[in-house]
Amino acid sequence: MIRAHQISYRHKEFHILDGIDVSLEYGEFLAIVGPNGAGKSSLLSILANEIKSDQKILFKNKNISDWEIRELSKHKAKFSQHNSNDIPLEVKDVVMMGRYPYFEAQPRQEDHEAMNNMMYETDVFHLKEREYNTLSGGEKQRVHLSRVLAQLQNGIDHKLLFLDEPLNNLDVKHQYKALEIIRKFTKKANSAIVVLHDLNLAAQYADKILLMKSGKVAAFGTPEEVFTAENISSAYNFPCTICEHPITHNPMIIFG
Amino acid sequence: MIISVLLLVLLAVWSLNTGVYDFGGKSAFDVLGKLIQQDPDLSLSDKYVVWDVRAARIIMAILIGSMLAVSGTSLQGLFKNPLATGDLIGLTSGATLLAAIAIVLGGHFQQYLPEAVQFSLVGISAFIGSLLSMLLVYRISTSGGKTNVVMMLLTGVAITAIGFSITGFLIYISKDEQLRDLTFWNLGSLAAATWTKNIILTIVLVISYSMLLPKGKALNAMMLGEKDAQHLGINVEKLKKQIIIMTALMIGTCVAFSGTIGFVGLIVPYILRLLFKSNYAFILPLSAVCGSILLLTADTFSRSIVQPSELPIGILTALMGGPIFIAILVKSKKSLA
Repeated sequence: MIRAHQISYRHKEFHILDGIDVSLEYGEFLAIVGPNGAGKSSLLSILANEIKSDQKILFKNKNISDWEIRELSKHKAKFSQHNSNDIPLEVKDVVMMGRYPYFEAQPRQEDHEAMNNMMYETDVFHLKEREYNTLSGGEKQRVHLSRVLAQLQNGIDHKLLFLDEPLNNLDVKHQYKALEIIRKFTKKANSAIVVLHDLNLAAQYADKILLMKSGKVAAFGTPEEVFTAENISSAYNFPCTICEHPITHNPMIIFG
Repeated sequence: MIISVLLLVLLAVWSLNTGVYDFGGKSAFDVLGKLIQQDPDLSLSDKYVVWDVRAARIIMAILIGSMLAVSGTSLQGLFKNPLATGDLIGLTSGATLLAAIAIVLGGHFQQYLPEAVQFSLVGISAFIGSLLSMLLVYRISTSGGKTNVVMMLLTGVAITAIGFSITGFLIYISKDEQLRDLTFWNLGSLAAATWTKNIILTIVLVISYSMLLPKGKALNAMMLGEKDAQHLGINVEKLKKQIIIMTALMIGTCVAFSGTIGFVGLIVPYILRLLFKSNYAFILPLSAVCGSILLLTADTFSRSIVQPSELPIGILTALMGGPIFIAILVKSKKSLA
């Protein structure tokens, strides 16, 4: 799916990323975790082709910067951490932006369908006619999630979704709902790379975990492999205990 | 859209019949009808007034109003702010300045240059003037895809100040005949309309609209931020270049032919935003028609309310634009601070 070898990125003599290898297979849900300033968002930006660099990132066996921009937008989408607060449009217009790669002047029937379905999934359908600027932070997040998902509603196989802290501002119910949606998406042989802060949610939903510390990979593997007490305590510099989740049997991390 | 086009046609008809000239009991439409049938009875002066004065002027108002409004709407999309218009950020002043230099300096080479070259020299200088101001404003006010609105407006103030002082100096040293041209440039007027100018304006309009009018979706996506627009399959760098060059071309051409008619690019998008939010997929094509409606109405009033004399059109547009400028400032008080 996507393969990146020895990614380095520096900003004014300061190494943000230092020799990172990432690879992701079809149908995998990869969670990137780590303390603040570990370089999680920078890694995601580079993988998603936002920052122009001479690094080689192979997306579907073709260098990602060689893809035609519009064609690429049908294969991958990105949910950004900092979404604009000021968009003087109605919610449905914002979600419809996700369909822009598919139509020229007027949205077609299938664009309206994709928009409506995704608004139902993310629970924003009732806000359809509301002005985006009047929504709460969590509602805005869900509108953008809906937009990003609508962008990947097509017949193409093996799509890739990047999400940078999608759970910010969401209440418990919607956090789980969002992760369910992402998991449903990856179950259809699509892949997702998600920056998460909640390690327990990451353990519960992700197939692979990439633990980062100061621009380097601290650990990479399945949740069971990565979430050991020593890995986490050393990465976060904070004591923790690991036990088994009584229901899901995934690792459960208790800090303190 | 259809309603606004109909309104424009009605206005044009009304405007054709408005004026000081007396056709000896006939209406202007009789004259136009005869003109189309090539009636030999038609007096030359009737023909001249209807075709070469009024019709040419109406078409010019339609073309220039439309282009000024579209340039305003596109700039607002590019800078993501309803205050970005050609006159406020200094493009008009830049164009006027270089046009003025071309008029005065061009006067010295007059005997060597054919008339067509002199004419296009002014137009090309105006285009270069607005393009340079545009690049300056963009460089100063935008970094990393974010526009600092205060910097954008202040750069406009600075360019206008420079333009004002140099134009003032040129007026001081210019000869009588050039003086008339310069005053015309500063006040703005559609009185000098001719069919040749209209043909050039039409060419510019077709080129820039074929590139800009389909950009409504892209401008909407820019509201998400440049990176997210890129994720939606929009070539942001190319879009920015196209808008910068095309708006400079439109504003430069308008200034070269009609001088500085202010505020059209501010008023039209403001009104459309009240009706359709900021959805550029609607307001971009609509501003093309509504700009024409506004300028044609203003021009018809300006030549009919103080008959037989004429009011400079800039007075009317500024009278409407000023309060709207203040309204936008009050509304965005929080975000500017």
